[in-house]
Amino acid sequence: MLKILLEKELRDIIYSTKFAITFAAAAVLVLLSFYVGIRNYHESVREFEAAKATNAASIAAATDWRQVQNRVFRKPQPLEVLVNGVTNDVGRTTDMRASGELTLINSRFSADPLFAVFRFLDLNFVVIIVFSLFAILFGYDAINGEKESGTLKLVFSNKVSRASFIMSKLLGSVIALGVPLLVPLLIGCLMLLGLGVPMSGDEWIQLGLLIFAGLLSFGVFLTLSIMISAMVTRSSVSFLLSLVVWIFSVLIVPKGSVLLASQIASAPSMDAIESQKRKFTADQMTRRMAAMQQWFSSRSVGMDTSFTSKFAAFQDSSTKSFEKERQEFYGRLNEDWRNKKDWQEQWAFGISRVSPTAVFQIAAMNLSGTDVGMKFRYLKELDRYQDSYAKFIQAKTGSTADYMRVIIRRFSTAQSDEDKQKTLNPSELPEFVVQPRPLGSTIAASLFDLGLLVVLNALFFGGAFFAFLRFDLR
Amino acid sequence: MDQTNILEAQMLTKVYEDGLCALDHVSFSVKAGEIFCLLGDNGAGKTTTINLFLGFLNPTEGVAIINGIDVAKDPLAAKQHVAYLSDVVMLYPNFTARQNLDFFARLGGRQNLKRDDYYNVLRQVGLQEKAFEQRLKGFSKGMRQKVGLAIAIVKEAPAIILDEPTSGLDPKAANEFLAILHQLRAQGRAILISTHDIFRAKEISDTVGIMSEGKLLAMKTRAELEHENLEKLYLDYIQGKVAA
Repeated sequence: MLKILLEKELRDIIYSTKFAITFAAAAVLVLLSFYVGIRNYHESVREFEAAKATNAASIAAATDWRQVQNRVFRKPQPLEVLVNGVTNDVGRTTDMRASGELTLINSRFSADPLFAVFRFLDLNFVVIIVFSLFAILFGYDAINGEKESGTLKLVFSNKVSRASFIMSKLLGSVIALGVPLLVPLLIGCLMLLGLGVPMSGDEWIQLGLLIFAGLLSFGVFLTLSIMISAMVTRSSVSFLLSLVVWIFSVLIVPKGSVLLASQIASAPSMDAIESQKRKFTADQMTRRMAAMQQWFSSRSVGMDTSFTSKFAAFQDSSTKSFEKERQEFYGRLNEDWRNKKDWQEQWAFGISRVSPTAVFQIAAMNLSGTDVGMKFRYLKELDRYQDSYAKFIQAKTGSTADYMRVIIRRFSTAQSDEDKQKTLNPSELPEFVVQPRPLGSTIAASLFDLGLLVVLNALFFGGAFFAFLRFDLR
Repeated sequence: MDQTNILEAQMLTKVYEDGLCALDHVSFSVKAGEIFCLLGDNGAGKTTTINLFLGFLNPTEGVAIINGIDVAKDPLAAKQHVAYLSDVVMLYPNFTARQNLDFFARLGGRQNLKRDDYYNVLRQVGLQEKAFEQRLKGFSKGMRQKVGLAIAIVKEAPAIILDEPTSGLDPKAANEFLAILHQLRAQGRAILISTHDIFRAKEISDTVGIMSEGKLLAMKTRAELEHENLEKLYLDYIQGKVAA
């Protein structure tokens, strides 16, 4: 009996004009999101390569490593284009220094503010908005629609159990709607291959899980709307209820959770932290100037080698102690802020998980590496690189040049051998390579939300099942 | 004709949780080759009786029996012996007439029917050939009713229950419909019809049961009705002018 009912369910959905139109729209949007993403990726890679080349040219034009204004650039990652997450808010460029705090500038949204308003059409958007609406459109009248059309009584005038009917409804809807959605998603994957997006094996696994999460999110809305349809007699009422749930899930809960979390667990703003850092730096600068003045006042200025080397040694020791002091202060400040922010984020994510949309979004961002932790992981990579960069500069110049450094040079009309320096070779610089997040960490970060989506599917599936067992067939 | 009771209501009573008595000790039977019409206005208890026969409701008292099976005790087994046509026959609009018939035939236990078998049944109910493979979306109420009747026929159940089958049909479609019911009666089916159409009830029935406020007030056979004005009789009964 289940087979007959399941077959009917599949046919009924697939033969419908509603399915043809909504599936076509969803397929076009999925493919468009892949296409736009791939184009954005290639454009970002071009910009990245161009920026690197310009940086290399500017280094090559310099003759002294002390004069070099080295910049490092965040390399675009393939999965970023499918789930933008915070990637467009995070700066792509960093002025690399041997010491001092590194900051990220030139984010995609600062370069293209228009996109900050309307955002990009990525796969995440398609799943959150289109898939969920698609699910509701097919689920809201799955049960009560059959009652209204009289087919429910007709079906149950035969030897049909409620359990097999509701199972066929749930399984049929999931198969008839879920499998066709897989087609454009798989075509999108082929587009990634065909249009030259380099994906590692780990990234393919992450993409596979991302698609799985998308289908789970779709399943949540489908089973939820079928459950509502089995709880309410009139399809117009179940449509309204499903829509209200959708609005809360997609629009209100995620935004509301951030507001609520900021009330429950407050954290100072970034501006406040920056202001404290600026104050500290200004104070440190004054103290450094005073120390330098004192150093000069305690000895007579000379241009001999002994004086310059003593001055260099003084500056090295002064830089080291001030840098240590700065690092400690900034470290404490950053750690405190990060702890408060973590706590706030935990609240926000915890509350937002009431919404299946938010659960999917958190899982998707974790799987594509564009979650809120992305910036800090990248800053850690920058810090790691800064150490090797500092060693390189130390080796090349004998000191870790910083913004307060005074360089004493002797000039003469006839260029000495020292003055006739060759231009620099940028390839000597240590290469900035970001270590990819291990697959295990990525999966572990998203496992809870993937599990939650599975649980929600099971919960609404069971809810629909039991609601139908009590449904008035008359 | 076989005189076995195919459909039987014995003191059938339904009182809802809110205390409303929808059916009050109703007893009647429908034999093979008989058409029994339950006549009554809205809320008389006709649909409740049908719902009890189909197992959509459990009786408070009494039993509904189909082909010797107590519906309340074994609803799934009882349903194998009955075909049903509801007053709202929307069916599946994305399916063709034949596909609708195929689905319900298989649901009714007729697994091995061929396309021609379906076509024969659709011909039998008078559906135009060109409509066999058309989706039901564009079908009129009369056409859908014919497909619904085909669904009831194809099950080959000994009992057929029809809930307001001619409501909304134009006179021509209603006459065609009744002609098919005559054929089914001739084939030995026991047919229970709920209706408030007095004239059609008199035309088609072997027995008419007049219902009002959950009670079966009277049962009149075709022979008894030949000498009576059914409309007057019906109005007298429901207005309480005649004692039940």
